[in-house]
Amino acid sequence: MDVGFSPEEARFREECRDWLQSNMPREKRPLDAADAIGFDKAWQRQLFDAGWAGINWPVAYGGRGLSIVQQVIWLEEYAKAQAPWIGANFVGINHGGPTLILNASEEQKACHLPQILKGEAIWCQGFSEPGAGSDLAGIKTRGRIEGDELVVNGSKIWTSFAHVADWQELVLRTEEGSQRHAGLSWAICDMHAPGITVRPIRKMSGQTEFAEVFYDDVRIPLAHVVGGLGNGWKVAMSTLSFERGTGFIADQVKQGHEIAELVAAARANGMIRDDRIADQLAQMRAEVAALRAMTYRNISEVVRTGQPGPEASVIRLFTSELGQRLERMAVLLMGEAVLDFAYGDDNAVHDYLRGFAATIAGGTAQIQRDIIGERLLGLPKSR
Amino acid sequence: MDLTLNDEQDALRTATTDWCRDNMPLEHARSRAPDLWRELEAMGWTGMTGAGMELDHATETLVFAELGRFLAPVGLLSTAVANRWFADGCDGKVALALAVEEPGPLRVLDPAGSRAALMWKADGLRLFDALDDQAPAPTIDLSTWQRRQAWTTPARTADDPRPPLHLQLLAAAFAVGCADAGRDMAADYARLRQQFDRPIGWFQALKHICSDMAVRSAVARSQLYYAACALDAGDAEAGFHIAAAKRLADQAALDNGRANIQVHGGIGMTDEAAPHLCLKRAHLLQFIAPADTLLLLG
Repeated sequence: MDVGFSPEEARFREECRDWLQSNMPREKRPLDAADAIGFDKAWQRQLFDAGWAGINWPVAYGGRGLSIVQQVIWLEEYAKAQAPWIGANFVGINHGGPTLILNASEEQKACHLPQILKGEAIWCQGFSEPGAGSDLAGIKTRGRIEGDELVVNGSKIWTSFAHVADWQELVLRTEEGSQRHAGLSWAICDMHAPGITVRPIRKMSGQTEFAEVFYDDVRIPLAHVVGGLGNGWKVAMSTLSFERGTGFIADQVKQGHEIAELVAAARANGMIRDDRIADQLAQMRAEVAALRAMTYRNISEVVRTGQPGPEASVIRLFTSELGQRLERMAVLLMGEAVLDFAYGDDNAVHDYLRGFAATIAGGTAQIQRDIIGERLLGLPKSR
Repeated sequence: MDLTLNDEQDALRTATTDWCRDNMPLEHARSRAPDLWRELEAMGWTGMTGAGMELDHATETLVFAELGRFLAPVGLLSTAVANRWFADGCDGKVALALAVEEPGPLRVLDPAGSRAALMWKADGLRLFDALDDQAPAPTIDLSTWQRRQAWTTPARTADDPRPPLHLQLLAAAFAVGCADAGRDMAADYARLRQQFDRPIGWFQALKHICSDMAVRSAVARSQLYYAACALDAGDAEAGFHIAAAKRLADQAALDNGRANIQVHGGIGMTDEAAPHLCLKRAHLLQFIAPADTLLLLG
């Protein structure tokens, strides 16, 4: 065991740092997805042109073909430099792309992966439905097979970036009368196709970042199904386990910044003299360190075995709850200034309100605890 | 960067667990066999990182987490650390004294058969000769006895941050093992115990208590590995990482200790069942080389 990096890795880190220092945008990313889309696309293109997009993606699809450790180093330096969030590119880079790499045909990969890396195609995720939230296998949106097309009817909800997206990873029921996990397919849906209606939804933090999506006889070529008809559950799970494994490295470095700022703020306003506050801050600083250790453990597991260990779901749960504790503390330290919050403000109150998503989106904290209990501890399945 | 176990470490860890299960079961923690200490010495656990052993702290930490899982005698911590940093004059068992200021008296843990007592202080370790004029008394941890002794002039480690960090690291490893023991005992029971015609682990209310125990264990163990590597590498931040490991491990041991009792229900609050042994050990470990809040704040 060791926590050091090789000389090549250290050199790579230098390169990342230097490039970010002289090239990252200095202006703030706009909060609303619609206002930010131009910013997001331009920044992603700049990253691609300089060779920082898809560091561990295959060279054939526009990536650099480097190691996952180098990808981690990039993400750490990216967060250290406080470079802007990749925003609307998040789903394509962290979700859609990796799923395609694992499951898609050569043709599908060649078509979509380079566009994702260049910021030319924005992706969104069509998983949750009004009646299928935590119970994701309750998906009702259906695709009837007609010739070489699927004819899709139904609706999806909580779809981040749907109103600015070009493509969607759509999980739908393609086998009539099928139940639960069987009979689902994972398809690439063109968000500009006729029959799609997007109704943006405003969040309690004020910005409009996700939406409800309605499908009215939307036609999707069967050639856009990924991983074969009826294999949608398996394909979708390969994405989720990726998200639970390595998708949160930047968050962890960010939390390192946040705790340092909180300690400084508590010293500045004297609240650190309250033993309970000092104790909570000390606790969170230890936890942020442990989170990095746990991520490194998980990454080295991937390097050794090719996939994240079952403890990836522990990281996901712990990151989201620790993030919320940090956000709560930031608001506590603000005192009465909290009252001045208004929609559009980009400050600690905004982050606190937006942060409620962390234990709901992509699998609630309760579902994560079910997974941990069942997969790590072998407890009987409740559902 | 690699925080996974290599084959050798994995084998050593498994062998340690197997030996402990056969020779030092947790359930017998309150009445250990008189010759247990001799066996522990024979297994080499009292001097793993001693001169000439060339073993790293990362590997030692893995072994101590397993020993801690079976509530091994706390004298192992002090003996192993004394063997590493006091080259001459301490073969044989060394008891563990909690930190106090002169003139004491010392609170010496696990004193039976010891020749000396090792005290942890953040600025260095102190080694006292053992005095056995006072009768041993029980502690809250039914597996650990204590004795008071007067302050005498101790030997102390040179101006070197590593000796106290070493003891804090191994104490953290013991706590990680203790937290794991609570988690596993609770999960085993939740799989077996039936109510409402199904294992109680089926119910989310119980399942999620167990999941939180798994989270605390995983968090503490990860930081423990990182901290051990930092000490091996002579990292300038090793002190912070070891303090973080100790704090998280102590907390995991305590919280898992409590949760384990709740998962067990009625039997969990009896003297006869094992859960209270883990909780009581966790209370003891809080006082061994505790993490400094100011250091953690940075």
